[in-house]
Amino acid sequence: MDDQPGLSDQYRMSSPWPLIVVLGLLFSELGLLFNVFPVAVGGLLLFVGAIAGIVLESGYADRPWNLLAGLGVALCVLGALVTVTQLDSVTFDAIATVVGRPNGIVGRGVELLIAGIVSVVIGAGGRFAESESI
Amino acid sequence: MVEAQLVLTALMGLFLAGVAVWLSRIEDWRSYTPLAGGGGAVGEESGYAHDEKPSGLIRWLTTVDHKDIGILYGAYSIIAFAVGGIMVILMRTELLTPDEAIIGSQFYNSLLTSHGITMLFLFGTPMIAAFGNYFIPLLVNAEDMAFPRINAIAFWMLPPGALLVWAGFLVVPFTDIQPAQTAWTMYTPLSAGVGTGTQAGVSGLGIDFMLLGLHFTGLSATMGAINFIATIFTDRGSDVNWANLDIFSWTMLTQSGLILFAFPLLGSALIMLLLDRNFGTTFFLAEGGGPILWQHLFWFFGHPEVYILALPPMGLVSFILPKFSGRKLFGFKFVVYSTLAIGVLSFGVWAHHMFATGIDPRIRASFEAVSLAIAIPSAVKVFNWTTTLWGGNLRLTAPMLFCVGAVSNFIFGGVTGIFTAAIPIDLVLHDTYYIVGHFHYILMGLLAFTVFAGIYYWFPIITGKMYQKRLAKWHFWLTMIGTNITFFAMLLLGYLGMPRRYATYTFGVGPQQIIEVLHQVTTLGAFILLVGQIIWVWNMIQSWYEAPTLQDNDPWDLKETGQFTNEWGWNERRLETAITDGGEEEETAMTDGGDPVDGSADTE
Repeated sequence: MDDQPGLSDQYRMSSPWPLIVVLGLLFSELGLLFNVFPVAVGGLLLFVGAIAGIVLESGYADRPWNLLAGLGVALCVLGALVTVTQLDSVTFDAIATVVGRPNGIVGRGVELLIAGIVSVVIGAGGRFAESESI
Repeated sequence: MVEAQLVLTALMGLFLAGVAVWLSRIEDWRSYTPLAGGGGAVGEESGYAHDEKPSGLIRWLTTVDHKDIGILYGAYSIIAFAVGGIMVILMRTELLTPDEAIIGSQFYNSLLTSHGITMLFLFGTPMIAAFGNYFIPLLVNAEDMAFPRINAIAFWMLPPGALLVWAGFLVVPFTDIQPAQTAWTMYTPLSAGVGTGTQAGVSGLGIDFMLLGLHFTGLSATMGAINFIATIFTDRGSDVNWANLDIFSWTMLTQSGLILFAFPLLGSALIMLLLDRNFGTTFFLAEGGGPILWQHLFWFFGHPEVYILALPPMGLVSFILPKFSGRKLFGFKFVVYSTLAIGVLSFGVWAHHMFATGIDPRIRASFEAVSLAIAIPSAVKVFNWTTTLWGGNLRLTAPMLFCVGAVSNFIFGGVTGIFTAAIPIDLVLHDTYYIVGHFHYILMGLLAFTVFAGIYYWFPIITGKMYQKRLAKWHFWLTMIGTNITFFAMLLLGYLGMPRRYATYTFGVGPQQIIEVLHQVTTLGAFILLVGQIIWVWNMIQSWYEAPTLQDNDPWDLKETGQFTNEWGWNERRLETAITDGGEEEETAMTDGGDPVDGSADTE
């Protein structure tokens, strides 16, 4: 128990990240469920970004970039799985056909993929830009 | 269509940019208050104090302090309680007359669905988490919850969840989207949108919104539960051990265990239902898993949910009742054991909700046996409360009145439940107002009553003020009388065969005139309850703003009977710290039944 109740000097009692994590999850779920491309991609980016941010802030990581890129890879894998299951054969033509066709499941897969690619690019870019050691 | 996408993309981009700007402004504030710990694990460094919270609205949006989050949970739950209450007042007003007179039956069905969901998921579960968040760390002498940020995430899941659950009502004036009309149990095939008369197409979006909202509240409850378990197991102060852990923490721990097993299952079932509705899967369709699968999954969550909502209130009664009886809780150990027993048994009774569905009679019989068995640990609690009161030095303060009222109501709710655990009786009373009366005796009579008891009991800690006692007594008696009028009349309606969930009762079931009178009595009771709750809200707000600051560190005279527990000790140290201008460490060691309370010298 602290000797000065209500006044802790151990850690700060404020963080902007929880709210952003929730907003990210909210928009990703809404966007993916109702297949609204910008909301899904924006929400997923916000979600993975906020996870990287909150992990960084909590001191579990020194930099957010690896985690951001890793989550991006996870989104890519998930999106690729969702898309590939809708293909008859994995060829460029088949992908082009299925992306052009209004198939709800492929739409969600593409949303996941794009969000994943953007996260990987930002994560890798951040790593590159901050390549000197801390 | 393309333009709409472009506009949405631009809006989303603007939103993301807004978040980035907001973050940078927060970071700006933070640059004046460097993080102790310097990137390492939290709490490794100390030695200088600083303003650890920003001011104004930003404080409440960014707080990770368990007490702030507890207050947020409480405020949120009370708003949800008010919304659910207004919904039911509209429904009860409609039921004053047998025919459809005031609101349409579709709107009635929407209100019915949302009332249930709101009271269970948006009021009940979060209100318990409010007490848990504020008081568990104080009771177990922890610095904060084990995961303060996850705690904040868990809370912030709730407002979007509520908005989604109510989304149908919010958009119905502008769109064709209808609020969900599935009842809170969301039985398939109705909720899957299959068959005639269901909400199909755009109108059914209200169901999707509600399912998504429920998914959010489920995530919130699960994260909260993990946090409570971790806090109670790993963050206890050195003077709190398993032997002297208080009864409220025990019930919160058990409840969190139940949440951990029940809510993820609800989340999965909800996603399966969403997939059925939107992606062409057949989990709950006749050609797939079948509609009964939903009932199994739902009630495997749903019945533990009853105890998720009942165990901490029982803990509150066990915690508060002895304080005003002048003696310790009778048979403390057995109250703990009965809590654990209920926790285990609660996962073995779910199919008693499905006796009338035509499931295998042998399965029914085993569920009847377990359902009857769970009455035993429940009765253990009632007898322990009664024996605590027996020969005690009773002080009928508002929290005590609500505790005694809760015990009384729980007996009504519990005994009516034992009747329906028996299959033959259940087949007669199934889907009648009897069931509604039975579970409202628990939810209003036990849960809400103990919530009021807890709020009155801890009002001095939360606000530093005292509530107005006369208004509190009015609140109690109106609530007690209103509850018993409303829900006893429902039991009688059920005996007469009145089916639940109907907006009208013009059909010929039972003696029409008596049914009408009983409905009017029920509505009268609901209005008495409404008046009582308005008095309560007024009392809370006015007392918080206008009451003089309480100087007494022990407003309930708990030291006299050796029941000055940790949270009051914390409050006392806080007040004394404030008096000494926040600079000096207080040397006074407080006692809790003879044991030293302040373990700050020993803890990290």
